[in-house]
Amino acid sequence: MSAAVAPSGALDFSGTPRVPFSRLVSVEFRKALDTRAGRWLTGTIIALCLIVIVIFALAAPDESTNFDTFLAVSGTTLGYFLPILLIMMVTSEWSQRTGLVTFALEPHRSRVVASKFCAGLLLGVGLIVVAAALAALGTLIAGGDWEIETGLLINGFVVANLIGIVLGFAIGMLLMNTPAAIVTYFIYTLVLPIAVGILAAFQEWFNDLAPWVEFNTAQASLFEGDAMPTGEEFAQLLVTGTIWLLIPFAVGLWRLLRAEPK
Amino acid sequence: MITVDHLTRKYGDFTAVDDVSFVAQPGRVTGFLGPNGAGKTTTMRVMVGLTPATAGQVTIGGHLYRDIPNPGRHVGVLLDASAQHAGRTGREVLTIGARTMGLPDSRVEEMLALVSLSPEESKRRLRNYSLGMRQRLGIAHALLGDPTVLILDEPANGLDPAGIRWMRGLLKGYADRGGTVLLSSHLLNEVELIADEMILIGNGRIVAQGDKQSLLATETVSSLVTSLDNAALAAALQAAGHTVAAAGDGLRVAATTVEVGRAALSAGVVLTDLRVESAGLEDLFLSLTADTQRDTQAAAPAPINAGGAA
Repeated sequence: MSAAVAPSGALDFSGTPRVPFSRLVSVEFRKALDTRAGRWLTGTIIALCLIVIVIFALAAPDESTNFDTFLAVSGTTLGYFLPILLIMMVTSEWSQRTGLVTFALEPHRSRVVASKFCAGLLLGVGLIVVAAALAALGTLIAGGDWEIETGLLINGFVVANLIGIVLGFAIGMLLMNTPAAIVTYFIYTLVLPIAVGILAAFQEWFNDLAPWVEFNTAQASLFEGDAMPTGEEFAQLLVTGTIWLLIPFAVGLWRLLRAEPK
Repeated sequence: MITVDHLTRKYGDFTAVDDVSFVAQPGRVTGFLGPNGAGKTTTMRVMVGLTPATAGQVTIGGHLYRDIPNPGRHVGVLLDASAQHAGRTGREVLTIGARTMGLPDSRVEEMLALVSLSPEESKRRLRNYSLGMRQRLGIAHALLGDPTVLILDEPANGLDPAGIRWMRGLLKGYADRGGTVLLSSHLLNEVELIADEMILIGNGRIVAQGDKQSLLATETVSSLVTSLDNAALAAALQAAGHTVAAAGDGLRVAATTVEVGRAALSAGVVLTDLRVESAGLEDLFLSLTADTQRDTQAAAPAPINAGGAA
Protein backbone atom coordinates (compact mmCIF):
# COMPACT_ATOMS: atom_id res chain seq x y z
CA MET A 1 0.00 0.00 0.00
CA SER A 2 1.97 2.89 -1.30
CA ALA A 3 -0.26 5.92 -0.84
CA ALA A 4 -0.89 7.53 2.52
CA VAL A 5 -4.49 7.39 3.68
CA ALA A 6 -5.81 10.51 5.33
CA PRO A 7 -8.64 10.12 7.86
CA SER A 8 -11.06 11.69 5.38
CA GLY A 9 -10.38 8.91 2.94
CA ALA A 10 -8.48 11.21 0.61
CA LEU A 11 -5.40 9.64 -0.90
CA ASP A 12 -2.18 11.48 -1.60
CA PHE A 13 -0.69 10.32 -4.87
CA SER A 14 1.73 13.19 -5.28
CA GLY A 15 4.72 11.01 -4.41
CA THR A 16 4.19 8.79 -7.46
CA PRO A 17 5.53 9.95 -10.82
CA ARG A 18 3.47 9.06 -13.86
CA VAL A 19 4.59 6.26 -16.14
CA PRO A 20 7.43 7.63 -18.27
CA PHE A 21 6.81 7.60 -22.02
CA SER A 22 9.95 5.57 -22.70
CA ARG A 23 8.61 2.80 -20.47
CA LEU A 24 5.31 2.76 -22.34
CA VAL A 25 7.21 2.44 -25.63
CA SER A 26 9.32 -0.45 -24.37
CA VAL A 27 6.21 -2.25 -23.06
CA GLU A 28 4.42 -1.77 -26.39
CA PHE A 29 7.48 -3.07 -28.20
CA ARG A 30 7.49 -6.12 -25.99
CA LYS A 31 3.77 -6.66 -26.57
CA ALA A 32 4.31 -6.70 -30.34
CA LEU A 33 6.62 -9.70 -30.03
CA ASP A 34 5.53 -11.62 -26.93
CA THR A 35 2.62 -13.50 -28.51
CA ARG A 36 2.85 -16.42 -30.84
CA ALA A 37 1.06 -14.43 -33.55
CA GLY A 38 3.43 -11.46 -33.32
CA ARG A 39 6.58 -13.53 -33.12
CA TRP A 40 5.58 -15.82 -35.97
CA LEU A 41 4.52 -12.99 -38.23
CA THR A 42 7.81 -11.17 -37.66
CA GLY A 43 9.79 -14.37 -38.16
CA THR A 44 7.81 -15.22 -41.28
CA ILE A 45 8.40 -11.79 -42.79
CA ILE A 46 12.16 -12.17 -42.32
CA ALA A 47 12.08 -15.76 -43.61
CA LEU A 48 10.07 -14.72 -46.68
CA CYS A 49 12.52 -11.92 -47.46
CA LEU A 50 15.37 -14.40 -47.13
CA ILE A 51 13.71 -17.00 -49.37
CA VAL A 52 12.82 -14.47 -52.05
CA ILE A 53 16.37 -13.05 -51.96
CA VAL A 54 18.01 -16.46 -52.23
CA ILE A 55 15.74 -17.54 -55.09
CA PHE A 56 16.40 -14.27 -56.86
CA ALA A 57 20.16 -14.59 -56.29
CA LEU A 58 20.23 -18.02 -57.85
CA ALA A 59 17.70 -17.53 -60.62
CA ALA A 60 18.04 -13.95 -61.84
CA PRO A 61 20.14 -13.15 -64.91
CA ASP A 62 23.60 -11.76 -64.11
CA GLU A 63 22.90 -8.21 -65.24
CA SER A 64 20.14 -7.77 -62.64
CA THR A 65 21.90 -9.14 -59.56
CA ASN A 66 22.91 -5.72 -58.29
CA PHE A 67 22.46 -4.47 -54.74
CA ASP A 68 19.74 -2.03 -55.79
CA THR A 69 17.72 -4.79 -57.44
CA PHE A 70 18.03 -6.90 -54.31
CA LEU A 71 16.93 -3.93 -52.22
CA ALA A 72 13.87 -3.56 -54.41
CA VAL A 73 13.10 -7.27 -54.07
CA SER A 74 13.42 -7.50 -50.28
CA GLY A 75 11.84 -4.06 -49.80
CA THR A 76 8.77 -5.05 -51.81
CA THR A 77 8.41 -8.33 -49.91
CA LEU A 78 8.71 -6.49 -46.61
CA GLY A 79 6.31 -3.81 -47.85
CA TYR A 80 3.49 -6.30 -48.31
CA PHE A 81 3.62 -7.73 -44.81
CA LEU A 82 5.02 -5.02 -42.53
CA PRO A 83 1.67 -3.15 -42.37
CA ILE A 84 -0.01 -6.34 -41.07
CA LEU A 85 2.35 -6.35 -38.10
CA LEU A 86 1.32 -2.77 -37.35
CA ILE A 87 -2.36 -3.60 -37.84
CA MET A 88 -2.09 -6.38 -35.26
CA MET A 89 -0.32 -4.16 -32.74
CA VAL A 90 -3.35 -1.86 -32.77
CA THR A 91 -6.24 -4.25 -33.32
CA SER A 92 -5.19 -6.86 -30.74
CA GLU A 93 -6.11 -4.37 -28.00
CA TRP A 94 -9.69 -4.67 -29.28
CA SER A 95 -9.92 -8.11 -30.86
CA GLN A 96 -8.11 -9.70 -27.90
CA ARG A 97 -9.66 -7.15 -25.52
CA THR A 98 -6.36 -6.30 -23.85
CA GLY A 99 -7.36 -2.64 -24.11
CA LEU A 100 -9.30 -3.15 -20.88
CA VAL A 101 -6.00 -3.59 -19.05
CA THR A 102 -3.84 -1.31 -21.19
CA PHE A 103 -6.11 1.70 -20.87
CA ALA A 104 -6.65 1.10 -17.16
CA LEU A 105 -2.90 1.14 -16.51
CA GLU A 106 -2.48 4.29 -18.61
CA PRO A 107 -5.77 6.17 -18.70
CA HIS A 108 -4.33 8.84 -21.00
CA ARG A 109 -5.12 7.02 -24.17
CA SER A 110 -3.26 9.41 -26.42
CA ARG A 111 -0.04 8.43 -24.61
CA VAL A 112 -0.78 4.77 -25.27
CA VAL A 113 -1.40 5.44 -28.95
CA ALA A 114 1.75 7.56 -29.28
CA SER A 115 3.87 4.95 -27.51
CA LYS A 116 2.42 2.20 -29.68
CA PHE A 117 3.20 4.21 -32.78
CA CYS A 118 6.78 4.74 -31.64
CA ALA A 119 7.15 1.04 -30.82
CA GLY A 120 5.74 0.13 -34.25
CA LEU A 121 8.12 2.57 -35.90
CA LEU A 122 11.07 1.04 -34.02
CA LEU A 123 10.03 -2.46 -35.00
CA GLY A 124 9.40 -1.42 -38.62
CA VAL A 125 12.73 0.36 -38.92
CA GLY A 126 14.42 -2.70 -37.41
CA LEU A 127 12.83 -4.87 -40.09
CA ILE A 128 13.82 -2.39 -42.81
CA VAL A 129 17.44 -2.72 -41.62
CA VAL A 130 17.12 -6.52 -41.62
CA ALA A 131 15.67 -6.44 -45.15
CA ALA A 132 18.61 -4.27 -46.27
CA ALA A 133 21.04 -6.72 -44.69
CA LEU A 134 19.35 -9.60 -46.52
CA ALA A 135 19.61 -7.66 -49.78
CA ALA A 136 23.34 -7.30 -49.10
CA LEU A 137 23.53 -11.03 -48.45
CA GLY A 138 21.83 -11.73 -51.79
CA THR A 139 24.28 -9.44 -53.55
CA LEU A 140 27.15 -11.36 -51.96
CA ILE A 141 25.72 -14.72 -53.03
CA ALA A 142 25.11 -13.56 -56.59
CA GLY A 143 28.38 -11.58 -56.72
CA GLY A 144 26.52 -8.53 -57.97
CA ASP A 145 27.39 -4.89 -58.30
CA TRP A 146 27.21 -2.75 -55.14
CA GLU A 147 26.45 0.47 -56.91
CA ILE A 148 23.08 1.83 -55.85
CA GLU A 149 20.91 4.71 -56.83
CA THR A 150 20.34 6.84 -53.76
CA GLY A 151 16.91 7.93 -54.94
CA LEU A 152 15.69 4.37 -55.19
CA LEU A 153 17.14 3.42 -51.81
CA ILE A 154 15.47 6.30 -50.04
CA ASN A 155 12.18 6.50 -51.96
CA GLY A 156 11.45 2.97 -53.00
CA PHE A 157 12.90 1.19 -50.02
CA VAL A 158 12.75 3.41 -46.94
CA VAL A 159 9.95 5.89 -47.69
CA ALA A 160 7.62 3.28 -49.20
CA ASN A 161 8.00 1.06 -46.15
CA LEU A 162 7.56 3.96 -43.75
CA ILE A 163 4.32 4.77 -45.58
CA GLY A 164 3.37 1.11 -45.08
CA ILE A 165 3.96 1.44 -41.32
CA VAL A 166 1.73 4.51 -41.07
CA LEU A 167 -0.84 2.87 -43.32
CA GLY A 168 -1.06 -0.29 -41.21
CA PHE A 169 -1.39 1.79 -38.07
CA ALA A 170 -4.13 3.91 -39.66
CA ILE A 171 -6.18 0.93 -40.88
CA GLY A 172 -5.80 -0.73 -37.47
CA MET A 173 -7.11 2.34 -35.66
CA LEU A 174 -9.91 2.84 -38.16
CA LEU A 175 -11.33 -0.69 -37.95
CA MET A 176 -10.12 -1.92 -34.52
CA ASN A 177 -10.71 -5.50 -35.65
CA THR A 178 -7.92 -7.80 -36.85
CA PRO A 179 -9.57 -9.81 -39.66
CA ALA A 180 -11.46 -6.81 -41.06
CA ALA A 181 -8.31 -4.67 -41.01
CA ILE A 182 -6.16 -7.27 -42.78
CA VAL A 183 -8.77 -7.88 -45.49
CA THR A 184 -9.16 -4.14 -45.97
CA TYR A 185 -5.41 -3.78 -46.23
CA PHE A 186 -5.17 -6.36 -49.00
CA ILE A 187 -8.05 -4.80 -50.90
CA TYR A 188 -6.29 -1.47 -50.50
CA THR A 189 -2.87 -2.61 -51.73
CA LEU A 190 -3.66 -5.45 -54.11
CA VAL A 191 -7.17 -5.21 -55.48
CA LEU A 192 -7.54 -1.45 -55.74
CA PRO A 193 -4.38 -0.80 -57.83
CA ILE A 194 -5.27 -3.65 -60.20
CA ALA A 195 -8.79 -2.35 -60.64
CA VAL A 196 -7.48 1.16 -61.21
CA GLY A 197 -4.87 -0.22 -63.64
CA ILE A 198 -7.48 -2.05 -65.70
CA LEU A 199 -9.77 0.94 -65.78
CA ALA A 200 -6.87 3.20 -66.73
CA ALA A 201 -5.87 0.88 -69.57
CA PHE A 202 -9.28 1.17 -71.18
CA GLN A 203 -10.18 4.76 -70.42
CA GLU A 204 -7.82 7.47 -71.57
CA TRP A 205 -9.29 10.13 -69.27
CA PHE A 206 -8.95 7.89 -66.23
CA ASN A 207 -5.36 7.05 -67.06
CA ASP A 208 -4.46 10.69 -66.45
CA LEU A 209 -6.65 10.91 -63.37
CA ALA A 210 -5.53 7.66 -61.68
CA PRO A 211 -2.30 8.95 -60.06
CA TRP A 212 -4.35 11.77 -58.54
CA VAL A 213 -6.91 9.52 -56.91
CA GLU A 214 -5.15 6.22 -56.16
CA PHE A 215 -2.31 6.13 -53.64
CA ASN A 216 -0.48 3.05 -54.96
CA THR A 217 -0.51 4.40 -58.51
CA ALA A 218 0.89 7.67 -57.24
CA GLN A 219 3.58 5.82 -55.30
CA ALA A 220 4.88 4.27 -58.54
CA SER A 221 7.01 7.39 -58.93
CA LEU A 222 8.92 6.33 -55.79
CA PHE A 223 10.23 3.26 -57.56
CA GLU A 224 11.54 4.95 -60.68
CA GLY A 225 15.20 4.80 -59.85
CA ASP A 226 17.46 7.73 -59.36
CA ALA A 227 15.09 10.43 -60.50
CA MET A 228 13.42 12.23 -57.63
CA PRO A 229 9.67 12.57 -58.08
CA THR A 230 8.80 15.60 -60.19
CA GLY A 231 6.75 18.48 -58.88
CA GLU A 232 3.62 16.97 -60.40
CA GLU A 233 4.37 13.55 -58.95
CA PHE A 234 4.93 15.12 -55.54
CA ALA A 235 1.59 16.83 -55.82
CA GLN A 236 -0.03 13.51 -56.72
CA LEU A 237 1.59 11.85 -53.72
CA LEU A 238 0.39 14.67 -51.52
CA VAL A 239 -3.20 14.55 -52.81
CA THR A 240 -3.59 10.77 -52.74
CA GLY A 241 -1.64 10.52 -49.49
CA THR A 242 -4.09 12.92 -47.88
CA ILE A 243 -7.10 10.98 -49.16
CA TRP A 244 -5.81 7.49 -48.49
CA LEU A 245 -3.44 7.92 -45.57
CA LEU A 246 -3.79 11.16 -43.60
CA ILE A 247 -7.59 11.25 -43.48
CA PRO A 248 -7.93 7.56 -42.48
CA PHE A 249 -5.21 8.12 -39.88
CA ALA A 250 -6.98 11.16 -38.42
CA VAL A 251 -10.42 9.53 -38.42
CA GLY A 252 -8.96 6.32 -36.96
CA LEU A 253 -7.20 8.24 -34.21
CA TRP A 254 -10.37 10.12 -33.38
CA ARG A 255 -12.30 6.85 -33.27
CA LEU A 256 -9.78 5.02 -31.14
CA LEU A 257 -9.47 7.81 -28.59
CA ARG A 258 -13.22 7.78 -28.06
CA ALA A 259 -14.04 4.09 -28.33
CA GLU A 260 -15.08 2.13 -25.26
CA PRO A 261 -13.00 -1.00 -24.82
CA LYS A 262 -15.44 -3.83 -24.11
CA MET B 1 -12.09 5.40 -0.59
CA ILE B 2 -14.27 5.28 -3.70
CA THR B 3 -16.96 7.92 -4.01
CA VAL B 4 -19.63 7.52 -6.65
CA ASP B 5 -21.49 10.79 -6.97
CA HIS B 6 -24.81 10.94 -8.84
CA LEU B 7 -23.43 8.82 -11.64
CA THR B 8 -25.53 8.41 -14.77
CA ARG B 9 -24.53 6.66 -17.96
CA LYS B 10 -26.85 6.54 -20.95
CA TYR B 11 -26.52 4.71 -24.23
CA GLY B 12 -28.98 6.47 -26.49
CA ASP B 13 -32.38 5.98 -24.88
CA PHE B 14 -31.12 3.23 -22.59
CA THR B 15 -29.99 4.27 -19.13
CA ALA B 16 -27.43 1.73 -17.93
CA VAL B 17 -26.64 3.57 -14.71
CA ASP B 18 -29.22 5.95 -13.28
CA ASP B 19 -28.18 8.51 -10.67
CA VAL B 20 -26.10 6.13 -8.59
CA SER B 21 -24.34 7.39 -5.45
CA PHE B 22 -22.45 5.40 -2.84
CA VAL B 23 -19.19 5.32 -0.97
CA ALA B 24 -16.82 2.38 -0.52
CA GLN B 25 -14.94 2.98 2.71
CA PRO B 26 -11.33 2.10 3.45
CA GLY B 27 -10.93 -0.88 5.78
CA ARG B 28 -14.13 -2.44 4.52
CA VAL B 29 -15.18 -4.84 1.81
CA THR B 30 -18.06 -3.35 -0.13
CA GLY B 31 -20.20 -5.76 -2.12
CA PHE B 32 -21.86 -4.49 -5.26
CA LEU B 33 -24.78 -6.75 -5.89
CA GLY B 34 -27.33 -6.97 -8.65
CA PRO B 35 -28.77 -9.22 -11.35
CA ASN B 36 -27.14 -9.48 -14.77
CA GLY B 37 -27.28 -6.22 -16.67
CA ALA B 38 -28.11 -4.13 -13.61
CA GLY B 39 -25.30 -1.65 -14.28
CA LYS B 40 -22.53 -2.99 -12.01
CA THR B 41 -19.93 -3.38 -14.72
CA THR B 42 -20.77 -0.05 -16.35
CA THR B 43 -20.35 1.68 -12.98
CA MET B 44 -16.97 0.02 -12.50
CA ARG B 45 -15.88 0.90 -16.01
CA VAL B 46 -16.67 4.55 -15.35
CA MET B 47 -14.62 4.32 -12.14
CA VAL B 48 -11.47 3.50 -14.07
CA GLY B 49 -12.12 5.84 -16.95
CA LEU B 50 -12.88 3.27 -19.64
CA THR B 51 -16.40 4.58 -20.09
CA PRO B 52 -17.19 8.28 -19.83
CA ALA B 53 -20.00 9.29 -17.48
CA THR B 54 -23.04 10.98 -18.97
CA ALA B 55 -23.50 12.85 -15.68
CA GLY B 56 -21.96 12.74 -12.23
CA GLN B 57 -18.52 11.42 -11.43
CA VAL B 58 -16.48 8.87 -9.52
CA THR B 59 -13.47 9.81 -7.44
CA ILE B 60 -10.93 7.53 -5.83
CA GLY B 61 -9.34 9.02 -2.75
CA GLY B 62 -10.66 12.36 -3.94
CA HIS B 63 -9.15 12.14 -7.42
CA LEU B 64 -10.52 11.31 -10.84
CA TYR B 65 -8.96 8.04 -12.02
CA ARG B 66 -7.27 9.71 -14.99
CA ASP B 67 -5.54 12.16 -12.64
CA ILE B 68 -3.89 9.38 -10.64
CA PRO B 69 -0.25 9.03 -11.71
CA ASN B 70 0.73 5.43 -12.51
CA PRO B 71 -2.75 4.25 -11.41
CA GLY B 72 -1.74 0.58 -11.27
CA ARG B 73 0.29 1.39 -8.15
CA HIS B 74 -2.77 2.72 -6.32
CA VAL B 75 -5.86 1.09 -7.76
CA GLY B 76 -5.98 -2.63 -8.54
CA VAL B 77 -8.50 -3.36 -11.27
CA LEU B 78 -10.00 -6.60 -12.50
CA LEU B 79 -12.86 -6.02 -14.91
CA ASP B 80 -12.80 -9.19 -17.01
CA ALA B 81 -10.32 -11.98 -16.43
CA SER B 82 -10.85 -13.24 -19.97
CA ALA B 83 -9.89 -9.93 -21.53
CA GLN B 84 -6.29 -10.96 -22.13
CA HIS B 85 -4.43 -11.95 -25.27
CA ALA B 86 -5.07 -15.67 -25.77
CA GLY B 87 -1.57 -16.16 -27.15
CA ARG B 88 0.28 -14.67 -24.19
CA THR B 89 1.49 -16.73 -21.25
CA GLY B 90 0.19 -15.95 -17.78
CA ARG B 91 3.66 -14.94 -16.65
CA GLU B 92 4.00 -12.59 -19.61
CA VAL B 93 0.68 -10.89 -18.81
CA LEU B 94 1.97 -10.10 -15.32
CA THR B 95 5.39 -9.08 -16.65
CA ILE B 96 3.80 -6.52 -18.97
CA GLY B 97 1.82 -5.12 -16.03
CA ALA B 98 4.88 -5.02 -13.78
CA ARG B 99 7.01 -3.33 -16.45
CA THR B 100 4.33 -0.72 -17.11
CA MET B 101 4.10 0.09 -13.40
CA GLY B 102 7.88 0.12 -13.06
CA LEU B 103 8.06 -2.89 -10.74
CA PRO B 104 10.87 -5.46 -10.65
CA ASP B 105 10.18 -8.80 -12.35
CA SER B 106 10.51 -10.50 -8.95
CA ARG B 107 7.09 -9.05 -8.16
CA VAL B 108 5.65 -11.33 -10.86
CA GLU B 109 6.96 -14.39 -9.02
CA GLU B 110 5.51 -13.14 -5.74
CA MET B 111 2.08 -12.66 -7.28
CA LEU B 112 2.13 -16.05 -9.03
CA ALA B 113 2.91 -17.65 -5.67
CA LEU B 114 0.20 -15.62 -3.94
CA VAL B 115 -2.54 -16.85 -6.27
CA SER B 116 -1.11 -20.39 -6.38
CA LEU B 117 -0.32 -20.56 -10.07
CA SER B 118 2.52 -23.04 -10.49
CA PRO B 119 5.59 -22.24 -12.62
CA GLU B 120 4.37 -24.68 -15.27
CA GLU B 121 0.92 -23.11 -15.37
CA SER B 122 2.40 -19.63 -15.59
CA LYS B 123 4.20 -20.62 -18.80
CA ARG B 124 1.01 -21.81 -20.46
CA ARG B 125 -0.82 -19.55 -22.86
CA LEU B 126 -4.07 -17.96 -21.76
CA ARG B 127 -6.16 -19.86 -24.30
CA ASN B 128 -5.29 -23.01 -22.33
CA TYR B 129 -6.36 -21.52 -18.98
CA SER B 130 -9.58 -22.49 -17.26
CA LEU B 131 -11.83 -19.66 -16.15
CA GLY B 132 -10.68 -20.23 -12.56
CA MET B 133 -7.03 -19.90 -13.56
CA ARG B 134 -7.78 -16.73 -15.52
CA GLN B 135 -9.55 -15.37 -12.49
CA ARG B 136 -6.51 -16.10 -10.29
CA LEU B 137 -4.27 -14.44 -12.83
CA GLY B 138 -6.60 -11.45 -12.95
CA ILE B 139 -6.49 -11.13 -9.16
CA ALA B 140 -2.69 -11.39 -9.28
CA HIS B 141 -2.67 -8.62 -11.89
CA ALA B 142 -4.89 -6.41 -9.76
CA LEU B 143 -2.60 -6.89 -6.74
CA LEU B 144 0.68 -6.38 -8.66
CA GLY B 145 1.18 -2.75 -7.76
CA ASP B 146 0.28 -3.23 -4.07
CA PRO B 147 -2.69 -0.87 -4.44
CA THR B 148 -4.73 0.78 -1.66
CA VAL B 149 -7.97 0.37 -3.57
CA LEU B 150 -9.25 -2.77 -5.26
CA ILE B 151 -12.01 -2.78 -7.88
CA LEU B 152 -13.01 -6.32 -8.84
CA ASP B 153 -15.84 -7.24 -11.18
CA GLU B 154 -17.18 -10.74 -10.45
CA PRO B 155 -13.87 -11.98 -9.01
CA ALA B 156 -15.31 -15.25 -7.71
CA ASN B 157 -16.69 -16.19 -11.11
CA GLY B 158 -15.24 -19.54 -12.14
CA LEU B 159 -13.38 -20.19 -8.89
CA ASP B 160 -13.96 -23.52 -7.17
CA PRO B 161 -15.27 -23.50 -3.56
CA ALA B 162 -11.74 -23.65 -2.15
CA GLY B 163 -10.73 -20.80 -4.44
CA ILE B 164 -13.68 -18.71 -3.30
CA ARG B 165 -12.74 -19.27 0.34
CA TRP B 166 -9.14 -18.36 -0.42
CA MET B 167 -10.22 -15.15 -2.14
CA ARG B 168 -12.52 -14.28 0.74
CA GLY B 169 -9.59 -14.53 3.17
CA LEU B 170 -7.35 -12.55 0.87
CA LEU B 171 -9.79 -9.67 0.48
CA LYS B 172 -10.72 -9.59 4.17
CA GLY B 173 -7.04 -9.38 5.04
CA TYR B 174 -6.65 -6.63 2.52
CA ALA B 175 -9.46 -4.57 4.02
CA ASP B 176 -8.19 -5.24 7.56
CA ARG B 177 -4.90 -3.63 6.58
CA GLY B 178 -6.80 -0.49 5.60
CA GLY B 179 -7.45 -1.15 1.94
CA THR B 180 -10.68 -0.31 0.15
CA VAL B 181 -12.25 -3.28 -1.59
CA LEU B 182 -15.19 -3.05 -3.97
CA LEU B 183 -16.34 -6.28 -5.55
CA SER B 184 -19.36 -7.00 -7.63
CA SER B 185 -21.37 -10.16 -7.93
CA HIS B 186 -24.74 -11.40 -9.07
CA LEU B 187 -24.55 -14.16 -6.46
CA LEU B 188 -25.84 -13.07 -3.09
CA ASN B 189 -24.29 -15.85 -1.02
CA GLU B 190 -20.86 -14.94 -2.25
CA VAL B 191 -21.17 -11.31 -1.24
CA GLU B 192 -23.04 -12.03 1.99
CA LEU B 193 -20.05 -13.94 3.38
CA ILE B 194 -17.41 -11.46 2.42
CA ALA B 195 -18.88 -7.97 2.43
CA ASP B 196 -19.10 -5.61 5.37
CA GLU B 197 -21.31 -3.33 3.38
CA MET B 198 -23.67 -4.07 0.50
CA ILE B 199 -24.93 -1.99 -2.37
CA LEU B 200 -27.92 -3.52 -4.16
CA ILE B 201 -28.49 -2.35 -7.70
CA GLY B 202 -31.26 -3.16 -10.15
CA ASN B 203 -32.09 -1.57 -13.49
CA GLY B 204 -29.29 0.93 -13.06
CA ARG B 205 -30.63 2.25 -9.76
CA ILE B 206 -29.56 1.57 -6.22
CA VAL B 207 -32.41 -0.21 -4.47
CA ALA B 208 -30.83 -0.65 -1.03
CA GLN B 209 -27.54 -0.25 0.76
CA GLY B 210 -26.11 -0.88 4.17
CA ASP B 211 -24.68 -3.75 6.20
CA LYS B 212 -26.49 -7.05 6.46
CA GLN B 213 -28.29 -6.26 9.75
CA SER B 214 -29.62 -2.91 8.64
CA LEU B 215 -30.76 -4.35 5.32
CA LEU B 216 -32.70 -7.12 7.06
CA ALA B 217 -34.15 -4.69 9.59
CA THR B 218 -36.07 -2.93 6.87
CA GLU B 219 -38.09 -6.06 6.24
CA THR B 220 -41.66 -6.37 7.45
CA VAL B 221 -41.95 -8.81 10.33
CA SER B 222 -44.01 -11.93 10.02
CA SER B 223 -44.40 -15.18 11.96
CA LEU B 224 -45.24 -18.71 10.97
CA VAL B 225 -47.49 -20.51 13.41
CA THR B 226 -49.12 -23.93 13.59
CA SER B 227 -51.57 -24.93 16.30
CA LEU B 228 -54.09 -27.62 17.19
CA ASP B 229 -56.92 -25.25 16.21
CA ASN B 230 -55.83 -22.97 13.43
CA ALA B 231 -59.31 -21.63 12.79
CA ALA B 232 -59.74 -20.40 16.37
CA LEU B 233 -56.25 -18.93 16.41
CA ALA B 234 -56.84 -17.14 13.10
CA ALA B 235 -60.05 -15.63 14.43
CA ALA B 236 -58.28 -14.45 17.60
CA LEU B 237 -55.41 -12.91 15.61
CA GLN B 238 -57.77 -11.18 13.23
CA ALA B 239 -59.71 -9.84 16.17
CA ALA B 240 -56.43 -8.40 17.44
CA GLY B 241 -55.97 -6.62 14.11
CA HIS B 242 -53.32 -8.79 12.47
CA THR B 243 -53.36 -10.00 8.89
CA VAL B 244 -53.52 -13.77 8.69
CA ALA B 245 -53.06 -16.06 5.73
CA ALA B 246 -52.91 -19.81 5.38
CA ALA B 247 -49.41 -21.18 4.87
CA GLY B 248 -48.95 -24.92 4.51
CA ASP B 249 -50.18 -26.66 7.66
CA GLY B 250 -50.29 -23.41 9.57
CA LEU B 251 -50.71 -19.66 9.29
CA ARG B 252 -48.58 -16.72 8.25
CA VAL B 253 -49.24 -13.74 10.49
CA ALA B 254 -48.06 -10.20 10.04
CA ALA B 255 -47.02 -9.87 13.68
CA THR B 256 -44.13 -10.69 15.98
CA THR B 257 -43.92 -14.10 17.63
CA VAL B 258 -44.65 -12.45 20.99
CA GLU B 259 -47.94 -11.04 19.72
CA VAL B 260 -48.93 -14.38 18.21
CA GLY B 261 -48.06 -16.19 21.48
CA ARG B 262 -50.17 -13.77 23.51
CA ALA B 263 -53.13 -14.19 21.18
CA ALA B 264 -52.83 -17.99 21.43
CA LEU B 265 -52.66 -17.81 25.23
CA SER B 266 -55.76 -15.69 25.57
CA ALA B 267 -57.66 -17.82 23.03
CA GLY B 268 -56.54 -21.00 24.78
CA VAL B 269 -55.11 -22.61 21.64
CA VAL B 270 -52.19 -25.03 21.91
CA LEU B 271 -49.26 -24.03 19.65
CA THR B 272 -47.22 -26.75 18.00
CA ASP B 273 -44.86 -24.49 16.11
CA LEU B 274 -44.06 -20.79 16.27
CA ARG B 275 -41.18 -19.03 14.56
CA VAL B 276 -40.07 -15.83 12.85
CA GLU B 277 -40.31 -16.04 9.11
CA SER B 278 -36.80 -15.14 8.10
CA ALA B 279 -36.93 -14.32 4.47
CA GLY B 280 -33.19 -13.73 4.48
CA LEU B 281 -31.24 -11.58 2.15
CA GLU B 282 -32.09 -13.65 -0.85
CA ASP B 283 -35.79 -12.88 -0.73
CA LEU B 284 -35.01 -9.27 0.01
CA PHE B 285 -32.64 -9.17 -2.93
CA LEU B 286 -35.17 -10.79 -5.25
CA SER B 287 -38.02 -8.59 -4.07
CA LEU B 288 -36.00 -5.40 -4.34
CA THR B 289 -34.84 -6.22 -7.81
CA ALA B 290 -38.09 -7.88 -8.88
CA ASP B 291 -38.78 -5.36 -11.61
CA THR B 292 -35.48 -6.13 -13.20
CA GLN B 293 -35.52 -9.91 -13.05
CA ARG B 294 -35.44 -11.67 -16.36
CA ASP B 295 -36.81 -14.90 -14.99
CA THR B 296 -40.33 -14.47 -13.78
CA GLN B 297 -42.30 -17.67 -13.47
CA ALA B 298 -43.33 -17.65 -17.09
CA ALA B 299 -45.22 -20.48 -18.69
CA ALA B 300 -43.04 -23.24 -20.07
CA PRO B 301 -42.39 -22.84 -23.78
CA ALA B 302 -44.78 -24.80 -25.94
CA PRO B 303 -43.41 -28.12 -27.12
CA ILE B 304 -42.29 -28.26 -30.71
CA ASN B 305 -45.05 -29.54 -32.87
CA ALA B 306 -43.25 -32.27 -34.80
CA GLY B 307 -46.08 -32.90 -37.22
CA GLY B 308 -46.80 -29.23 -37.83
CA ALA B 309 -48.26 -27.91 -41.02
CA ALA B 310 -45.10 -25.95 -41.76
